[in-house]
Amino acid sequence: MDIVIEKLVQVWDDGRDGVRALDGISHHFRSGRLTCLLGPSGCGKSTLVQIVGGIEQATSGLIRITDPNNPTAPAARAGERSIMMWQNLNLFPWRNVIDNVAFGLEMDGVARQQRYSRAKELLATVGLKNFEYKMCSQLSGGMRQRVALARALIMDQPILLMDEPFAALDAQTKIIMQEELTRIFEKMRKTILFVTHAIDEAILIGDEVVVMTARPGRIKEIIAIDLPRPRTQELVNSPEFGRLYDRILHLIRQEVLDAMRQQDEAVA
Amino acid sequence: MSNGRGGRRPSMWLRLLPALSIILFLLLWEMVVRLRGILPIVLPAPSSIFNYLVAMVADGSLPYHLAVTFARIIAGFLVAGFLGVLIGVLMGMSSIFSRIIDPWIAALYPLPKISLIPLLIIWLGTGEAYILTISAVTAFFPVVISTYAGIRQTDSGLVNTARDLGASEWQVQTKVVVPAAVPSIFAGLQLGMGVTIILVVAAEMIGGSNQSGMGYLLIRFGQVMETEKVFASLIALAVFGGVIIKLQSAMDRWIAPWAVKKS
Repeated sequence: MDIVIEKLVQVWDDGRDGVRALDGISHHFRSGRLTCLLGPSGCGKSTLVQIVGGIEQATSGLIRITDPNNPTAPAARAGERSIMMWQNLNLFPWRNVIDNVAFGLEMDGVARQQRYSRAKELLATVGLKNFEYKMCSQLSGGMRQRVALARALIMDQPILLMDEPFAALDAQTKIIMQEELTRIFEKMRKTILFVTHAIDEAILIGDEVVVMTARPGRIKEIIAIDLPRPRTQELVNSPEFGRLYDRILHLIRQEVLDAMRQQDEAVA
Repeated sequence: MSNGRGGRRPSMWLRLLPALSIILFLLLWEMVVRLRGILPIVLPAPSSIFNYLVAMVADGSLPYHLAVTFARIIAGFLVAGFLGVLIGVLMGMSSIFSRIIDPWIAALYPLPKISLIPLLIIWLGTGEAYILTISAVTAFFPVVISTYAGIRQTDSGLVNTARDLGASEWQVQTKVVVPAAVPSIFAGLQLGMGVTIILVVAAEMIGGSNQSGMGYLLIRFGQVMETEKVFASLIALAVFGGVIIKLQSAMDRWIAPWAVKKS
Protein backbone atom coordinates (compact mmCIF):
# COMPACT_ATOMS: atom_id res chain seq x y z
CA MET A 1 0.00 0.00 0.00
CA ASP A 2 1.18 3.50 -0.78
CA ILE A 3 1.02 5.91 2.11
CA VAL A 4 1.00 9.57 1.20
CA ILE A 5 1.08 12.13 3.96
CA GLU A 6 0.65 15.81 3.28
CA LYS A 7 1.47 18.67 5.64
CA LEU A 8 0.87 16.65 8.77
CA VAL A 9 0.87 18.87 11.84
CA GLN A 10 0.57 17.65 15.40
CA VAL A 11 0.30 20.12 18.24
CA TRP A 12 0.12 18.87 21.82
CA ASP A 13 -1.90 20.93 24.24
CA ASP A 14 0.35 22.07 27.09
CA GLY A 15 -2.08 24.64 28.52
CA ARG A 16 -0.25 27.52 26.79
CA ASP A 17 0.49 27.93 23.06
CA GLY A 18 0.83 24.17 22.52
CA VAL A 19 3.88 22.10 21.68
CA ARG A 20 4.47 21.53 17.99
CA ALA A 21 5.48 17.89 17.62
CA LEU A 22 5.16 17.61 13.86
CA ASP A 23 5.54 20.65 11.64
CA GLY A 24 4.02 20.01 8.25
CA ILE A 25 5.50 16.68 7.18
CA SER A 26 4.87 15.48 3.66
CA HIS A 27 6.16 12.23 2.23
CA HIS A 28 5.28 9.33 0.01
CA PHE A 29 5.99 5.96 1.63
CA ARG A 30 6.15 3.53 -1.25
CA SER A 31 4.33 0.26 -1.34
CA GLY A 32 6.36 -2.82 -0.46
CA ARG A 33 9.29 -0.84 0.90
CA LEU A 34 10.78 -0.61 4.32
CA THR A 35 11.21 3.01 5.35
CA CYS A 36 13.13 3.89 8.48
CA LEU A 37 12.24 7.06 10.38
CA LEU A 38 15.39 8.24 12.09
CA GLY A 39 15.69 11.18 14.43
CA PRO A 40 16.63 12.35 17.88
CA SER A 41 14.41 11.64 20.90
CA GLY A 42 11.26 13.74 20.91
CA CYS A 43 11.36 14.55 17.19
CA GLY A 44 7.87 13.17 16.68
CA LYS A 45 8.78 9.99 14.78
CA SER A 46 6.64 7.84 17.09
CA THR A 47 3.82 10.35 16.78
CA LEU A 48 4.04 10.12 13.02
CA VAL A 49 3.61 6.32 12.90
CA GLN A 50 0.82 6.52 15.46
CA ILE A 51 -1.02 8.96 13.22
CA VAL A 52 -0.49 6.72 10.18
CA GLY A 53 -1.73 3.80 12.30
CA GLY A 54 -4.89 5.65 13.31
CA ILE A 55 -3.97 5.59 16.99
CA GLU A 56 -3.47 9.35 17.21
CA GLN A 57 -5.41 12.02 15.38
CA ALA A 58 -3.31 14.65 13.59
CA THR A 59 -4.09 18.29 14.34
CA SER A 60 -4.14 18.95 10.60
CA GLY A 61 -2.94 17.44 7.35
CA LEU A 62 -3.87 14.58 5.07
CA ILE A 63 -3.13 10.86 4.93
CA ARG A 64 -3.94 8.83 1.85
CA ILE A 65 -3.51 5.08 1.93
CA THR A 66 -4.03 3.52 -1.48
CA ASP A 67 -3.33 0.30 -3.28
CA PRO A 68 -1.06 0.93 -6.31
CA ASN A 69 -2.37 -2.26 -7.94
CA ASN A 70 -5.94 -1.13 -7.58
CA PRO A 71 -5.96 2.64 -8.13
CA THR A 72 -9.73 2.89 -8.46
CA ALA A 73 -10.43 1.50 -5.00
CA PRO A 74 -11.28 4.12 -2.37
CA ALA A 75 -8.46 5.19 -0.06
CA ALA A 76 -8.24 3.36 3.25
CA ARG A 77 -8.65 5.13 6.58
CA ALA A 78 -5.62 5.45 8.83
CA GLY A 79 -5.24 2.22 10.77
CA GLU A 80 -7.59 0.27 8.59
CA ARG A 81 -4.89 -1.58 6.65
CA SER A 82 -2.06 -1.42 9.14
CA ILE A 83 -0.92 -3.11 12.33
CA MET A 84 1.32 -1.58 14.93
CA MET A 85 4.21 -3.24 16.70
CA TRP A 86 4.94 -1.30 19.87
CA GLN A 87 8.15 -0.24 21.51
CA ASN A 88 7.17 -1.95 24.77
CA LEU A 89 5.45 -4.80 22.88
CA ASN A 90 2.23 -4.61 24.94
CA LEU A 91 1.83 -8.36 25.16
CA PHE A 92 -1.16 -9.40 27.27
CA PRO A 93 0.43 -10.94 30.36
CA TRP A 94 -2.64 -13.01 31.26
CA ARG A 95 -2.58 -14.82 27.91
CA ASN A 96 -0.14 -17.49 26.86
CA VAL A 97 1.90 -17.21 23.67
CA ILE A 98 -0.64 -18.67 21.28
CA ASP A 99 -3.56 -16.70 22.72
CA ASN A 100 -1.52 -13.51 22.39
CA VAL A 101 -0.72 -14.29 18.76
CA ALA A 102 -4.32 -15.29 17.99
CA PHE A 103 -5.82 -12.26 19.78
CA GLY A 104 -6.77 -10.36 16.63
CA LEU A 105 -8.40 -13.41 15.02
CA GLU A 106 -10.29 -14.11 18.24
CA MET A 107 -11.66 -10.56 18.18
CA ASP A 108 -12.80 -11.19 14.61
CA GLY A 109 -14.71 -14.26 15.78
CA VAL A 110 -12.48 -16.83 14.06
CA ALA A 111 -13.03 -20.31 15.52
CA ARG A 112 -10.41 -21.56 17.96
CA GLN A 113 -9.15 -24.42 15.81
CA GLN A 114 -8.58 -22.17 12.80
CA ARG A 115 -6.97 -19.35 14.71
CA TYR A 116 -4.68 -21.75 16.55
CA SER A 117 -3.50 -23.41 13.37
CA ARG A 118 -2.83 -19.99 11.82
CA ALA A 119 -1.05 -18.83 14.98
CA LYS A 120 1.13 -21.94 14.93
CA GLU A 121 2.14 -21.22 11.33
CA LEU A 122 3.19 -17.70 12.28
CA LEU A 123 5.02 -18.82 15.39
CA ALA A 124 6.96 -21.20 13.15
CA THR A 125 7.70 -18.33 10.76
CA VAL A 126 9.21 -16.24 13.54
CA GLY A 127 11.10 -19.24 14.93
CA LEU A 128 9.02 -19.93 18.03
CA LYS A 129 7.89 -23.52 17.60
CA ASN A 130 6.97 -25.45 20.77
CA PHE A 131 6.47 -22.35 22.88
CA GLU A 132 2.75 -22.03 22.14
CA TYR A 133 1.53 -22.68 25.66
CA LYS A 134 4.20 -20.84 27.61
CA MET A 135 3.27 -17.63 29.41
CA CYS A 136 4.95 -14.53 27.98
CA SER A 137 6.65 -13.82 31.31
CA GLN A 138 8.59 -17.07 30.91
CA LEU A 139 10.17 -15.92 27.63
CA SER A 140 13.36 -13.99 27.01
CA GLY A 141 13.33 -10.49 25.51
CA GLY A 142 14.04 -11.73 21.99
CA MET A 143 11.33 -14.37 22.19
CA ARG A 144 8.81 -11.81 23.39
CA GLN A 145 9.68 -9.71 20.35
CA ARG A 146 8.91 -12.68 18.14
CA VAL A 147 5.53 -13.16 19.82
CA ALA A 148 4.68 -9.51 19.22
CA LEU A 149 5.81 -9.79 15.61
CA ALA A 150 3.71 -12.93 15.05
CA ARG A 151 0.72 -11.23 16.66
CA ALA A 152 1.07 -8.34 14.21
CA LEU A 153 1.72 -10.57 11.15
CA ILE A 154 -1.31 -12.80 11.81
CA MET A 155 -3.58 -9.86 10.94
CA ASP A 156 -2.26 -10.13 7.39
CA GLN A 157 -2.39 -6.39 6.81
CA PRO A 158 -0.27 -4.90 4.03
CA ILE A 159 1.23 -2.21 6.28
CA LEU A 160 3.34 -2.87 9.36
CA LEU A 161 4.19 0.03 11.66
CA MET A 162 7.08 -0.60 14.00
CA ASP A 163 7.88 1.85 16.77
CA GLU A 164 11.44 1.14 17.95
CA PRO A 165 10.58 -2.49 18.54
CA PHE A 166 14.20 -3.56 19.11
CA ALA A 167 15.32 -0.63 21.26
CA ALA A 168 15.16 -2.52 24.54
CA LEU A 169 17.06 -5.59 23.34
CA ASP A 170 20.67 -6.41 24.14
CA ALA A 171 23.12 -5.94 21.26
CA GLN A 172 23.37 -9.60 20.20
CA THR A 173 19.64 -10.29 20.32
CA LYS A 174 19.06 -7.09 18.39
CA ILE A 175 21.29 -8.32 15.54
CA ILE A 176 19.37 -11.59 15.36
CA MET A 177 16.00 -9.79 15.34
CA GLN A 178 17.17 -7.37 12.63
CA GLU A 179 18.19 -10.31 10.44
CA GLU A 180 14.92 -12.04 11.21
CA LEU A 181 12.88 -8.97 10.27
CA THR A 182 14.91 -8.54 7.09
CA ARG A 183 14.28 -12.17 6.17
CA ILE A 184 10.53 -11.89 6.86
CA PHE A 185 10.30 -8.58 5.00
CA GLU A 186 12.11 -9.97 1.97
CA LYS A 187 9.66 -12.87 1.94
CA MET A 188 6.41 -10.98 2.60
CA ARG A 189 7.17 -7.59 1.06
CA LYS A 190 4.90 -5.56 3.26
CA THR A 191 5.01 -1.78 3.45
CA ILE A 192 6.90 -1.13 6.66
CA LEU A 193 7.48 2.09 8.58
CA PHE A 194 10.19 1.46 11.11
CA VAL A 195 11.00 4.04 13.79
CA THR A 196 14.52 3.90 15.17
CA HIS A 197 17.25 6.08 16.57
CA ALA A 198 20.02 3.64 15.60
CA ILE A 199 21.77 4.65 12.38
CA ASP A 200 23.24 1.20 11.69
CA GLU A 201 19.84 -0.43 12.17
CA ALA A 202 18.24 2.01 9.74
CA ILE A 203 20.83 1.32 7.02
CA LEU A 204 20.84 -2.42 7.59
CA ILE A 205 17.09 -2.97 7.24
CA GLY A 206 15.79 0.06 5.34
CA ASP A 207 15.16 0.75 1.65
CA GLU A 208 14.99 4.40 2.54
CA VAL A 209 15.92 6.44 5.60
CA VAL A 210 13.90 9.53 6.45
CA VAL A 211 16.04 11.71 8.68
CA MET A 212 13.97 13.99 10.90
CA THR A 213 14.90 17.21 12.63
CA ALA A 214 14.71 17.93 16.35
CA ARG A 215 11.32 19.24 17.53
CA PRO A 216 9.28 20.52 15.79
CA GLY A 217 9.70 17.42 13.62
CA ARG A 218 10.31 18.06 9.93
CA ILE A 219 11.96 15.95 7.29
CA LYS A 220 15.60 16.94 7.03
CA GLU A 221 16.66 14.60 4.28
CA ILE A 222 15.66 11.39 2.58
CA ILE A 223 18.39 8.89 1.86
CA ALA A 224 17.88 5.93 -0.41
CA ILE A 225 19.62 2.76 0.73
CA ASP A 226 20.48 0.90 -2.45
CA LEU A 227 22.36 -1.94 -0.80
CA PRO A 228 21.45 -5.27 -2.39
CA ARG A 229 19.12 -7.75 -0.71
CA PRO A 230 19.13 -10.26 0.88
CA ARG A 231 21.12 -8.41 3.51
CA THR A 232 22.98 -9.81 6.45
CA GLN A 233 24.94 -8.39 9.32
CA GLU A 234 28.23 -8.68 7.35
CA LEU A 235 27.09 -5.63 5.41
CA VAL A 236 28.24 -3.33 8.19
CA ASN A 237 31.85 -3.99 7.16
CA SER A 238 31.34 -2.84 3.57
CA PRO A 239 32.59 0.55 2.41
CA GLU A 240 29.12 1.53 1.11
CA PHE A 241 27.70 0.96 4.57
CA GLY A 242 30.43 3.11 6.07
CA ARG A 243 29.78 5.95 3.62
CA LEU A 244 26.03 5.91 4.32
CA TYR A 245 26.70 5.77 8.05
CA ASP A 246 28.99 8.81 7.93
CA ARG A 247 26.56 10.76 5.83
CA ILE A 248 23.58 10.09 8.11
CA LEU A 249 25.66 10.66 11.24
CA HIS A 250 26.69 14.03 9.86
CA LEU A 251 23.03 14.90 9.17
CA ILE A 252 21.75 13.82 12.52
CA ARG A 253 24.50 15.10 14.80
CA GLN A 254 23.24 18.69 14.80
CA GLU A 255 19.66 17.51 15.35
CA VAL A 256 20.65 15.43 18.36
CA LEU A 257 22.54 18.39 19.82
CA ASP A 258 19.46 20.59 19.27
CA ALA A 259 17.22 18.00 20.93
CA MET A 260 19.55 17.82 23.93
CA ARG A 261 19.53 21.58 24.23
CA GLN A 262 15.69 21.57 24.12
CA GLN A 263 15.62 19.02 26.92
CA ASP A 264 18.05 21.09 28.99
CA GLU A 265 15.85 24.14 28.52
CA ALA A 266 12.75 22.19 29.46
CA VAL A 267 14.37 21.09 32.70
CA ALA A 268 15.73 24.55 33.51
CA MET B 1 25.77 -23.13 50.47
CA SER B 2 25.08 -22.65 54.13
CA ASN B 3 27.81 -20.20 55.00
CA GLY B 4 25.86 -17.10 55.93
CA ARG B 5 27.88 -14.75 53.69
CA GLY B 6 27.70 -16.06 50.15
CA GLY B 7 24.95 -18.69 50.28
CA ARG B 8 21.56 -18.04 48.70
CA ARG B 9 19.61 -20.13 51.19
CA PRO B 10 19.81 -19.12 54.84
CA SER B 11 21.59 -21.62 57.04
CA MET B 12 19.72 -24.33 58.95
CA TRP B 13 20.14 -22.31 62.11
CA LEU B 14 18.46 -19.27 60.61
CA ARG B 15 15.60 -21.28 59.17
CA LEU B 16 14.88 -22.87 62.54
CA LEU B 17 14.94 -19.57 64.35
CA PRO B 18 11.19 -18.73 63.98
CA ALA B 19 10.13 -22.11 65.40
CA LEU B 20 12.76 -21.84 68.09
CA SER B 21 11.49 -18.43 69.10
CA ILE B 22 7.97 -19.79 69.65
CA ILE B 23 9.20 -22.86 71.56
CA LEU B 24 11.38 -20.75 73.84
CA PHE B 25 8.51 -18.38 74.52
CA LEU B 26 6.16 -21.26 75.42
CA LEU B 27 8.78 -22.84 77.70
CA LEU B 28 9.29 -19.54 79.47
CA TRP B 29 5.54 -19.10 79.86
CA GLU B 30 5.14 -22.64 81.27
CA MET B 31 8.02 -22.07 83.71
CA VAL B 32 6.73 -18.73 84.97
CA VAL B 33 3.21 -20.09 85.53
CA ARG B 34 4.49 -23.14 87.43
CA LEU B 35 7.20 -21.48 89.47
CA ARG B 36 5.14 -18.47 90.50
CA GLY B 37 1.98 -20.56 91.05
CA ILE B 38 -0.18 -18.24 88.87
CA LEU B 39 -3.90 -19.15 88.99
CA PRO B 40 -5.18 -20.78 85.77
CA ILE B 41 -8.09 -18.34 85.77
CA VAL B 42 -5.61 -15.51 85.26
CA LEU B 43 -3.03 -17.20 83.05
CA PRO B 44 -3.17 -20.93 82.34
CA ALA B 45 0.00 -22.83 81.42
CA PRO B 46 0.47 -23.73 77.73
CA SER B 47 0.35 -27.44 78.60
CA SER B 48 -3.08 -27.14 80.17
CA ILE B 49 -4.35 -24.96 77.30
CA PHE B 50 -3.20 -27.71 74.98
CA ASN B 51 -5.09 -30.33 76.99
CA TYR B 52 -8.27 -28.27 76.78
CA LEU B 53 -7.73 -27.74 73.06
CA VAL B 54 -7.51 -31.51 72.52
CA ALA B 55 -10.61 -32.10 74.63
CA MET B 56 -12.61 -29.45 72.74
CA VAL B 57 -11.65 -30.98 69.42
CA ALA B 58 -12.48 -34.47 70.70
CA ASP B 59 -15.96 -33.55 71.97
CA GLY B 60 -16.73 -31.86 68.65
CA SER B 61 -17.53 -28.43 70.06
CA LEU B 62 -14.57 -26.65 68.48
CA PRO B 63 -15.04 -28.18 65.00
CA TYR B 64 -18.74 -27.35 65.12
CA HIS B 65 -18.30 -23.69 66.04
CA LEU B 66 -15.41 -23.29 63.61
CA ALA B 67 -17.56 -24.74 60.83
CA VAL B 68 -20.40 -22.34 61.64
CA THR B 69 -18.05 -19.37 61.66
CA PHE B 70 -16.46 -20.59 58.44
CA ALA B 71 -19.84 -20.84 56.69
CA ARG B 72 -20.72 -17.28 57.80
CA ILE B 73 -17.36 -15.96 56.60
CA ILE B 74 -17.75 -17.59 53.21
CA ALA B 75 -21.32 -16.27 52.88
CA GLY B 76 -20.30 -12.71 53.78
CA PHE B 77 -17.22 -12.88 51.60
CA LEU B 78 -19.10 -14.19 48.57
CA VAL B 79 -21.78 -11.51 48.80
CA ALA B 80 -19.21 -8.74 49.31
CA GLY B 81 -16.87 -10.14 46.65
CA PHE B 82 -19.59 -10.54 44.04
CA LEU B 83 -21.17 -7.13 44.58
CA GLY B 84 -17.82 -5.39 45.05
CA VAL B 85 -16.30 -6.74 41.84
CA LEU B 86 -19.51 -6.17 39.88
CA ILE B 87 -19.99 -2.59 40.98
CA GLY B 88 -16.26 -1.83 40.72
CA VAL B 89 -16.18 -3.10 37.14
CA LEU B 90 -19.33 -1.18 36.21
CA MET B 91 -17.89 1.98 37.73
CA GLY B 92 -14.70 1.47 35.73
CA MET B 93 -16.62 0.97 32.51
CA SER B 94 -19.16 3.76 32.82
CA SER B 95 -18.30 7.25 33.96
CA ILE B 96 -22.00 7.96 34.50
CA PHE B 97 -22.31 5.00 36.85
CA SER B 98 -19.10 5.91 38.68
CA ARG B 99 -20.30 9.48 39.19
CA ILE B 100 -23.53 8.20 40.70
CA ILE B 101 -21.85 5.69 43.01
CA ASP B 102 -18.67 7.58 43.89
CA PRO B 103 -20.15 10.04 46.45
CA TRP B 104 -21.74 7.14 48.37
CA ILE B 105 -18.49 5.26 48.59
CA ALA B 106 -16.59 8.40 49.55
CA ALA B 107 -19.14 9.15 52.28
CA LEU B 108 -19.54 5.64 53.69
CA TYR B 109 -16.00 4.29 53.40
CA PRO B 110 -14.53 6.24 56.35
CA LEU B 111 -17.43 5.27 58.61
CA PRO B 112 -16.40 2.46 60.99
CA LYS B 113 -18.78 -0.23 59.79
CA ILE B 114 -18.99 -1.70 63.27
CA SER B 115 -20.94 1.43 64.28
CA LEU B 116 -23.79 0.17 62.07
CA ILE B 117 -24.40 -2.72 64.45
CA PRO B 118 -27.18 -1.03 66.51
CA LEU B 119 -29.05 -0.02 63.38
CA LEU B 120 -28.68 -3.43 61.76
CA ILE B 121 -29.93 -5.15 64.91
CA ILE B 122 -33.00 -2.86 64.90
CA TRP B 123 -33.67 -3.70 61.26
CA LEU B 124 -32.61 -7.30 60.98
CA GLY B 125 -32.70 -8.70 64.49
CA THR B 126 -29.80 -10.72 65.82
CA GLY B 127 -29.89 -13.71 63.51
CA GLU B 128 -27.92 -14.78 60.44
CA ALA B 129 -29.15 -11.87 58.30
CA TYR B 130 -27.50 -9.42 60.67
CA ILE B 131 -24.16 -11.25 60.72
CA LEU B 132 -24.16 -11.63 56.95
CA THR B 133 -25.01 -7.97 56.38
CA ILE B 134 -22.47 -6.46 58.73
CA SER B 135 -19.62 -8.62 57.35
CA ALA B 136 -20.62 -8.16 53.71
CA VAL B 137 -21.06 -4.40 54.03
CA THR B 138 -17.63 -4.06 55.59
CA ALA B 139 -15.85 -6.30 53.09
CA PHE B 140 -17.63 -4.67 50.15
CA PHE B 141 -15.65 -1.43 50.40
CA PRO B 142 -12.07 -2.67 49.98
CA VAL B 143 -13.23 -4.93 47.14
CA VAL B 144 -15.10 -2.24 45.21
CA ILE B 145 -12.37 0.36 45.70
CA SER B 146 -9.53 -1.96 44.58
CA THR B 147 -11.54 -3.20 41.63
CA TYR B 148 -12.42 0.30 40.48
CA ALA B 149 -8.82 1.46 40.89
CA GLY B 150 -7.53 -1.58 38.98
CA ILE B 151 -9.92 -0.97 36.10
CA ARG B 152 -8.99 2.69 35.92
CA GLN B 153 -5.27 2.03 36.02
CA THR B 154 -5.34 -0.27 33.00
CA ASP B 155 -2.28 0.34 30.85
CA SER B 156 -3.52 2.48 27.94
CA GLY B 157 -0.88 0.78 25.76
CA LEU B 158 -2.71 -2.55 26.14
CA VAL B 159 -6.02 -0.88 25.29
CA ASN B 160 -4.55 0.78 22.19
CA THR B 161 -3.00 -2.52 21.15
CA ALA B 162 -6.31 -4.35 21.46
CA ARG B 163 -8.09 -1.67 19.42
CA ASP B 164 -5.36 -1.83 16.78
CA LEU B 165 -5.86 -5.61 16.60
CA GLY B 166 -9.54 -5.06 15.87
CA ALA B 167 -11.18 -5.37 19.28
CA SER B 168 -14.56 -3.66 19.66
CA GLU B 169 -15.16 -1.39 22.67
CA TRP B 170 -16.99 -4.21 24.43
CA GLN B 171 -14.11 -6.61 23.70
CA VAL B 172 -11.62 -4.04 24.96
CA GLN B 173 -13.49 -4.00 28.26
CA THR B 174 -14.03 -7.73 28.66
CA LYS B 175 -10.82 -9.06 27.10
CA VAL B 176 -8.35 -6.43 28.24
CA VAL B 177 -9.54 -4.03 30.94
CA VAL B 178 -11.09 -6.60 33.27
CA PRO B 179 -8.27 -9.18 32.99
CA ALA B 180 -5.71 -6.40 33.47
CA ALA B 181 -7.47 -5.46 36.71
CA VAL B 182 -7.33 -8.99 38.13
CA PRO B 183 -4.25 -8.34 40.32
CA SER B 184 -6.01 -5.36 41.95
CA ILE B 185 -9.24 -7.33 42.26
CA PHE B 186 -7.36 -10.12 44.05
CA ALA B 187 -5.70 -7.60 46.36
CA GLY B 188 -9.14 -6.18 47.21
CA LEU B 189 -10.56 -9.66 47.81
CA GLN B 190 -7.68 -10.45 50.17
CA LEU B 191 -8.41 -7.31 52.19
CA GLY B 192 -12.10 -8.15 52.05
CA MET B 193 -11.49 -11.64 53.43
CA GLY B 194 -9.48 -10.18 56.31
CA VAL B 195 -12.27 -7.83 57.41
CA THR B 196 -14.95 -10.48 56.85
CA ILE B 197 -13.23 -12.73 59.40
CA ILE B 198 -13.02 -9.85 61.88
CA LEU B 199 -16.62 -8.74 61.44
CA VAL B 200 -18.17 -12.22 61.55
CA VAL B 201 -16.44 -12.98 64.86
CA ALA B 202 -17.31 -9.53 66.21
CA ALA B 203 -20.96 -9.92 65.23
CA GLU B 204 -21.08 -13.35 66.87
CA MET B 205 -19.80 -11.66 70.02
CA ILE B 206 -22.08 -8.65 69.91
CA GLY B 207 -25.74 -9.39 69.57
CA GLY B 208 -25.59 -12.67 67.68
CA SER B 209 -28.47 -14.69 69.13
CA ASN B 210 -27.81 -18.05 67.50
CA GLN B 211 -25.42 -19.21 70.23
CA SER B 212 -22.93 -20.55 67.76
CA GLY B 213 -19.64 -19.60 66.15
CA MET B 214 -16.22 -18.78 67.52
CA GLY B 215 -17.18 -15.29 68.65
CA TYR B 216 -20.01 -16.69 70.74
CA LEU B 217 -17.69 -19.34 72.17
CA LEU B 218 -15.08 -16.78 73.19
CA ILE B 219 -17.60 -14.50 74.89
CA ARG B 220 -19.24 -17.39 76.75
CA PHE B 221 -15.96 -18.83 78.05
CA GLY B 222 -14.83 -15.34 78.99
CA GLN B 223 -17.98 -14.64 80.96
CA VAL B 224 -17.59 -17.81 83.03
CA MET B 225 -13.83 -17.27 83.30
CA GLU B 226 -12.82 -20.52 81.68
CA THR B 227 -9.55 -18.95 80.68
CA GLU B 228 -8.04 -22.17 79.30
CA LYS B 229 -10.93 -22.49 76.86
CA VAL B 230 -10.63 -18.84 75.88
CA PHE B 231 -6.99 -19.44 75.01
CA ALA B 232 -7.78 -22.70 73.22
CA SER B 233 -10.47 -20.94 71.14
CA LEU B 234 -8.11 -18.09 70.33
CA ILE B 235 -5.43 -20.49 69.09
CA ALA B 236 -7.97 -22.35 66.98
CA LEU B 237 -9.24 -19.08 65.53
CA ALA B 238 -5.73 -17.82 64.75
CA VAL B 239 -4.74 -21.03 62.96
CA PHE B 240 -8.07 -21.10 61.14
CA GLY B 241 -7.71 -17.48 59.97
CA GLY B 242 -4.18 -18.18 58.78
CA VAL B 243 -5.33 -21.24 56.85
CA ILE B 244 -8.13 -19.28 55.12
CA ILE B 245 -5.73 -16.52 54.02
CA LYS B 246 -3.17 -19.08 52.77
CA LEU B 247 -5.86 -20.99 50.92
CA GLN B 248 -7.03 -17.80 49.26
CA SER B 249 -3.50 -16.95 48.10
CA ALA B 250 -3.09 -20.48 46.76
CA MET B 251 -6.36 -20.15 44.89
CA ASP B 252 -5.32 -16.81 43.42
CA ARG B 253 -2.08 -18.37 42.18
CA TRP B 254 -4.00 -21.26 40.72
CA ILE B 255 -6.60 -19.11 38.93
CA ALA B 256 -4.22 -16.42 37.64
CA PRO B 257 -0.57 -17.32 38.14
CA TRP B 258 0.56 -14.33 36.06
CA ALA B 259 -1.18 -11.94 38.46
CA VAL B 260 0.69 -13.03 41.58
CA LYS B 261 4.15 -11.62 42.05
CA LYS B 262 6.73 -14.26 42.85
CA SER B 263 8.20 -13.66 46.24
